[in-house]
Amino acid sequence: MKKKKRISLTFYAMVIPMAILFFIFHTIPFLQGVFYSFTDWKGYGTWNLVGLRNYTHIFSDKNIYSSYLFTFKLAICATILVNVIGLLIASGLNAKIKCRNVLKAIYFIPYMLGTLIISFVFKFVFSNILPMVGEQLGIEALRLNILGTNQAWIGVLFVTVWQSLAFNVLIYLAGLQTVDQDIYEAANLDGAVGFKRFMKITFPLIAPFFTINMVLSARGYLMAFDQVMAMTDGGPGTLTTTISVLIYKKGFSGGQFAYQSANAVMMFVVIVVISIIQLKVLDKREETING
Amino acid sequence: MKVIKKAIVLCLSFTLVCSTLTGCGSKNNNNKKSNTTEKTTSAEGNSSSTEEESSLSGKIELFSTKTENSMILQTLADKYTEKNPNVTITINAPAEAKTVLTTRMTKGDMPDIIAMGGDTTYTEVQSAGMLEDLSNEGFVSNIQESYMSMVYDVNKDKEQVAYGIPYATNASGILYNEDLFAKAGVEVPTTWDEFVQVIEKLKAAGIQPFELTFADAWTCLPTWNSLAPDLAAENFNDERKAGNVSFGATAEFTELLQKYIQIMNYAQTDFMGTTYDDGNKAFANGEAAMMINGNWAISEFKKTNPDIKVNMFAFPGTNDTNKNYVTSGVDVLFTISNQSKHIDIAKDFIAFMIEQENASQYIEDQFAFSAVKGVEQSNITVAGVKADIASGKVANFPDHYYPSGFDLSAILSEFALNYMNGMADDENITATLKNCDEQYDATNVD
Amino acid sequence: MTHRTKLHKEKVNWPITIILMVVAAGLILFPLYLTISIALRDPSDMVNLLAFPKKLNFSNFAEAWKMTNYPLKFRNTLFITVINLVFTIITNSAVSYAITRNYKKSKFFKGMYYYFISAMFIPFSVLMLPLVKQAALFHVDNIGGITFLYIIFGLPMNIFLYSGYIKSIPEAIDEAATIDGASPLQTFTRVIFPMLKPMTATVAILSFMWTWNDFLMPLILLSKPEQQTLQLSQYVFQGQFTTQYNLAFASYLLVILPILVVYIFCQKWIISGVVSGAVKQ
Repeated sequence: MKKKKRISLTFYAMVIPMAILFFIFHTIPFLQGVFYSFTDWKGYGTWNLVGLRNYTHIFSDKNIYSSYLFTFKLAICATILVNVIGLLIASGLNAKIKCRNVLKAIYFIPYMLGTLIISFVFKFVFSNILPMVGEQLGIEALRLNILGTNQAWIGVLFVTVWQSLAFNVLIYLAGLQTVDQDIYEAANLDGAVGFKRFMKITFPLIAPFFTINMVLSARGYLMAFDQVMAMTDGGPGTLTTTISVLIYKKGFSGGQFAYQSANAVMMFVVIVVISIIQLKVLDKREETING
Repeated sequence: MKVIKKAIVLCLSFTLVCSTLTGCGSKNNNNKKSNTTEKTTSAEGNSSSTEEESSLSGKIELFSTKTENSMILQTLADKYTEKNPNVTITINAPAEAKTVLTTRMTKGDMPDIIAMGGDTTYTEVQSAGMLEDLSNEGFVSNIQESYMSMVYDVNKDKEQVAYGIPYATNASGILYNEDLFAKAGVEVPTTWDEFVQVIEKLKAAGIQPFELTFADAWTCLPTWNSLAPDLAAENFNDERKAGNVSFGATAEFTELLQKYIQIMNYAQTDFMGTTYDDGNKAFANGEAAMMINGNWAISEFKKTNPDIKVNMFAFPGTNDTNKNYVTSGVDVLFTISNQSKHIDIAKDFIAFMIEQENASQYIEDQFAFSAVKGVEQSNITVAGVKADIASGKVANFPDHYYPSGFDLSAILSEFALNYMNGMADDENITATLKNCDEQYDATNVD
Repeated sequence: MTHRTKLHKEKVNWPITIILMVVAAGLILFPLYLTISIALRDPSDMVNLLAFPKKLNFSNFAEAWKMTNYPLKFRNTLFITVINLVFTIITNSAVSYAITRNYKKSKFFKGMYYYFISAMFIPFSVLMLPLVKQAALFHVDNIGGITFLYIIFGLPMNIFLYSGYIKSIPEAIDEAATIDGASPLQTFTRVIFPMLKPMTATVAILSFMWTWNDFLMPLILLSKPEQQTLQLSQYVFQGQFTTQYNLAFASYLLVILPILVVYIFCQKWIISGVVSGAVKQ
């Protein structure tokens, strides 16, 4: 075999058409969005270039500020909860239990169902069923629909975690199954049991799976949309308006097409920065744990 | 060998899957085809017998920003297509209709007929130059002049051009349960002080005075919309636009929010968590005496409880009975997209809707008032405001004049949430009005 | 597994089994039971929702079926899902193969790899506003068009998934096929593609789930009623269901039932597919 071989045209033919289409329908809209962010366009009619005005305005806009705050709160809490609960359930499923496959199948069901439908169902649970139960049992805290209170975000968080937990459970379960039982044997002899055993032995071994989960889950939560549209429509007030919901609602109505384009570009920058930090930090962690 | 074997197996299974899928697909297609052919043949059959009646043919989309009227629009559209068998009308009344409409505006894909309120959404579409000028249509003369001028008022430069045909008008105020009022022995109040007494008496009789439904933020608006014209100076909206006045520095708005808080004092415990639909149901079942909303909710009550005795009165915002207006505006405005391929059908359909018989059918179903001359609402459920509407003691919805990016419902929802959280009233009112000014100015900049 | 059972005859861990069962029943099966029971209730039987329905009322399904025009919405969704599935697998695997095999030999393919992978950082919300314009311009704001867009938009993630897997297949296999006289296309379709089966399963499941359950893209691109997908029509009909919760829940069930049926039959395959995709990276 020669080292330098001409690359067959077939390979180019496989890639180039798709690349062109991707450029037209993904890259061009992205660049257009960046361009619009420097204009005062409403999405129709005439427009002018306005320089950085949209960007300077973002920093003094209470709505944008609160949507970032809520989105981060949701993403951080959901990431933590999903990973902690996911690991707990996965450890449980990995133990010597009865009906493991049935349980595994049940825990994976939420992942199959669309967020929108789940949100509609839980909206009904929060607004009609829980208050009814609260009434019957005389539990004052349940009488109010949580989606109409300061804690509305907890309702949104609950549904988010409920739906995405399944995926994380599976990943951790796969991770746990790679851990050789002999190591536990040795650990038992050394007197490492329970939580100590988990922190000292299990967790370092499944660190790569932790990385996967952290990266995949955090990014998804930063884009939360369906559950908010279905459950609270961003309310009460603007308490549960995520960045995506704000871009959708204000970008298409209210003449803020260009302004929300600037917001979208901001969001893009934020996500890139977060992803890079995440990968760097987690990679290092993994190295130190395993090294 | 193994690889090739595997490859063959996979290829086979793949083709099998594909063939079953395409099998399903083609079956569906066949079904669909035969269905459509059936439909067209039947339509042809009809048209040959009724050819003299109508030569119009085509498919149009009727977009409504109100989900409440989709049923009656469907009924009337069916009636129309019966006479015009070659016309198909699709009714589209989605949730979040205004956002959907502006999305379609951005796409340049406007529905043929758009039925919307005479509000900022109309101004937005009209100012984008997307609407057909209907001034020269014969049916314009069948519309009451006062409502036509309301439409001219929300045209971008207040030009006297009929881009929209007002069809139904609404009335917003207080909806009350007559039986519960009788039970508590109270009469319809005409001043704020009387109103407060009525509320106290209802409460004393063990009746929940108000059912509020703030889980749907837009239902925070009617109270504001009813109080603002009663309290604030008539030229406030123009002055605010010019930046000469502010919400925070206008004492009447502080008073407005104080009265708003008094209303919330007498609402059910979970008013922030009650949805419009659930609230309507509760009210229809007699769980509260009053709701602050518009005539459009009545048809929803009747769905739950056809026998409910409900009536309306003007919100008594002040002690000066002359200033307690009924809030009334153009609720349904027919407009035609100038990009429509079937402008002739769209115009014909609007002309059909304006016919006395159909206009009556619409307002009877919706408990609305007609903008069509000579069509009167005779239902007793809205008798309480009929006289005011006839005599013109009405004020248009103030939020029809606010800029479209100004989301007052979210601000008021936050105000109500602050109240629920136990924030001091003064602090809450100051913060809310400051919020109003900030958000108003923010939209004016863009 | 055999190794484990041989080593220790562990006792069944009953406490954990019971905790897991209780949690599963309370948090996952109970909401599902509620959904089903509300969908089957008579509107007059909405007082004690936790109890079993007094009488099973299947007419809710019939009414929801008619009201939302279910057959049409189902056909739309099925069309999008199936066509997307088939073409995503064919095209995206080919692109990944071409890129991965020539990644080291050519700057062009290396550039392509980074081009697609970096697009993973662009969230859909960022594209949303301008995409609406672009889609209208190219007339892809319809069922066929949105299917096409799904195929294109899935590329970054699928290239990421496939390329990791293709790297693990020794190039010697390609070379052997070439020596046997196979063209690059034949090498791919006859030798490599079959070997990608586990990853293809993953890609297939993820695309299927994405397109069946997606709400945002249909929301902004498909505005005509006859073009709605199942998810979108649930959102659109919220206003029309009002407090007819039985109808609404029957309608939700009609949307999730097909996917539940698929899940029940292909459960093991789906679970292992999802895991292998994420873990084999």
